[in-house]
Amino acid sequence: MARNTDELRIVVGYTADDSGADALALGARIAAATEGRLEVVLVLPIEARGGVVPPDPGYERLVKERGRGWLAEASASIGDDIAQALHIRYAESFAEGLTAAAHEFGAALIVVGAARGGLLGRVRIGSVANELLHSSDVPVALAPAGSRDVRLGQGITRVTAAVGTRPGAQRLIEASVALARASHAPVRLVSLVPIDLPSGLDAELAHLTSTAHAEEVLDSARAALPAGVQASAQVATGDSVEDAVKALDWHAGELVLVGSSRLASGHRLFLGSTAAKMLRELPVPMIVVPRTRG
Amino acid sequence: MTQPQSKNPPADPPLTTATSAVGDERGLSKKGLSAGSVGLIGAIIIGISCIAPAYTLTAALGPTVSEVGVQVPAIILVGFIPMLLVAFGYRELNRRMPDSGTSFTWATRAFGPWIGWMAGWGLVAATILVLSNLAGIAVDFLFLLISQVAGTPELAELAHNPVINVVTCLVFMLAATWVSYRDMQTTQKLQYWLVGFQILVLVLFSVVALAEVANGNAFDATPIDWSWFNPFAVESFSAFAAGLSLSIFIFWGWDVTLTMNEETRGSEKTPGRAATITVGVIVALYLLISVSLISFAGVGEGEFGLGNPDIQDNVFFALAGPVLGPLAVLVSIAVLTSSASSLQSTFVSPARTLLAMGHYGALPEKFARVSPRFFTPGYATIVSSIAASVFYAVMRFLSENVLWDTITALGMMICFYYGITAFACVWFFRKQWFHSVREFFFTLLFPLVGGVILGVLFFTTLIDSMDPDYGSGSSVFGVGLVFVLGMVVLLAGVGVMIWQRVRRPAFFRGETLSRASAD
Repeated sequence: MARNTDELRIVVGYTADDSGADALALGARIAAATEGRLEVVLVLPIEARGGVVPPDPGYERLVKERGRGWLAEASASIGDDIAQALHIRYAESFAEGLTAAAHEFGAALIVVGAARGGLLGRVRIGSVANELLHSSDVPVALAPAGSRDVRLGQGITRVTAAVGTRPGAQRLIEASVALARASHAPVRLVSLVPIDLPSGLDAELAHLTSTAHAEEVLDSARAALPAGVQASAQVATGDSVEDAVKALDWHAGELVLVGSSRLASGHRLFLGSTAAKMLRELPVPMIVVPRTRG
Repeated sequence: MTQPQSKNPPADPPLTTATSAVGDERGLSKKGLSAGSVGLIGAIIIGISCIAPAYTLTAALGPTVSEVGVQVPAIILVGFIPMLLVAFGYRELNRRMPDSGTSFTWATRAFGPWIGWMAGWGLVAATILVLSNLAGIAVDFLFLLISQVAGTPELAELAHNPVINVVTCLVFMLAATWVSYRDMQTTQKLQYWLVGFQILVLVLFSVVALAEVANGNAFDATPIDWSWFNPFAVESFSAFAAGLSLSIFIFWGWDVTLTMNEETRGSEKTPGRAATITVGVIVALYLLISVSLISFAGVGEGEFGLGNPDIQDNVFFALAGPVLGPLAVLVSIAVLTSSASSLQSTFVSPARTLLAMGHYGALPEKFARVSPRFFTPGYATIVSSIAASVFYAVMRFLSENVLWDTITALGMMICFYYGITAFACVWFFRKQWFHSVREFFFTLLFPLVGGVILGVLFFTTLIDSMDPDYGSGSSVFGVGLVFVLGMVVLLAGVGVMIWQRVRRPAFFRGETLSRASAD
């Protein structure tokens, strides 16, 4: 999925706090596993964007200098083994700056820290990640809180594509396969089947119908795989999406890819309700892929 | 692996900043390359919202009338002169040494650490005084607005209950701190509307007041006279000086338009033009409003007279209803939005100065902290907010006329640190004075004259304010409250400075920020 097929370029949206450390750690882990290249980007706000506070070149300079220091510390924390470059960009918003940087570098992935006060390591999407999910046309990886404590050597042990229950996930499959190839990890296709029925209906019948439907979707997804790619496939059921997620087994070094909502406009991302529910339960990082080719 | 937090990052980290990584030839939008720029209109809007004419006039008109009577228009015209002269010096310094510490850094460079420290303290104290005053005015107008909307005038009286007043004020402060800490700015577009609305309401207010005078419905119709514009008609030099130091306050904030030199788009003339247009608009508004309100209400001590001490600390609050009737609600909205914008732009300056002081080791290093998420001086912002809140709460219980006295003390503080800044400019550029005619005027003559005027104002106000009847007439131990306020603030600064000298001698030995001069 990279523009240069030989090297996966990964933009890390860095901030000098826990969330930024999560993003950096996840980005570094993916880069290490795929022998890709990290573009660590610190987005500074354009001071003149507002109509109230007068811009002050002195302060601006100081923030830029501080930003350099932060990036240098970030760089030192991931070591020299990973190809990396550090960048400072100015933009109206964090999301805008990262999207622009991803285009500039031809990056295949933007990594941001997802958590802002999420409980117990689970993900609660912060405003920054949320804005990015609404505007990016490049896949976005959400690093859950605690990603900074995962060893770099953990690598990527499996790539799971959550294909949902509706067909039409071509780009998602492609992205998953590319990532799996680059990181030499196996692919797993997963279809989640929440069974949430009003009482009175025949639960058994409903279960059969939805499961059968999910199998069909998985079959069509498998058919979409490029020749020679082997993938396991699983249907997960539960009373809810959350339960279905819990019912699956997860590797510590796993990555999950989901397609963006069908409601997203154009090539943009937008997290659908199923993906949002998954995110709450997933113990591993999630990558959201725009539905159509950008 | 964690890196020790160091103030000075390692030299040459493997970094590409936007400017070096990509050039224009790649067709990248300029946005990514720098912190951005402000156009002519944007600069004017920022200038006007920093000055916040609606807030400034409601707070300063009463105290100014109490000093100089009907000669307010004259004082407004004259008060602009020292401000302009000092602003020229400010601009030269900002051009040569752009630094977030402004007066602190410049005075340290010119006169060494002790004077520099006190200049920084003066700036921080002045802005903290104005923050508390702003929030106080906003509280008054919030209750007025609620009472106007609800149609129950008694609600406006709630603002006079000290407990309710202080609690509301603290809530405002908290909100303003939150907004500043997160750097949530209103967009330029919204600000255009807010500033436009503010100006329209002020013009409407004045025109209606004049119409009421013409119709014979004015409270105390006073015929407009040319002597109002004659500064020599002011009774005494003391009154003149006090009035001037207040009018310094009403133009305070204007200098930002003149110093936005690096950021403004377009030709080199943009900042000058922006500053000229801004001050033209402001002076016209001030004259219009002061003339119309004096003409409407007179300067007597009657119910709505501008000389009535009960209404002097917030004259629009008292006069909006009698002048505009049901439309008075517009004035409340204008003053509230004006205070809100001003609260935000004002918050920035003590925080940035404190940050610079922390950065150079003149204060604990905590002050130099920049929020990694919002890129604001986080710690310094919170400290400023707490100081302003405590100051307001204490003052509210100490004096009924807290707003009035803070405005007067504020004028004094501005004279103090602006004066030092002006002299710093003169001294810093001492080797360049005679390089050209331009240098002579802008680095020697203008700032020197401005600095001397401010110095005279400072000392005159300081001496006069010892009189217990000075200003609002509040006094502590038989000495005027304004004097006590000024001295407490300045001596506290000296105290903290000596304490910091003991704790952090490096700055005071000139190791972090050395004396220098332009050559």
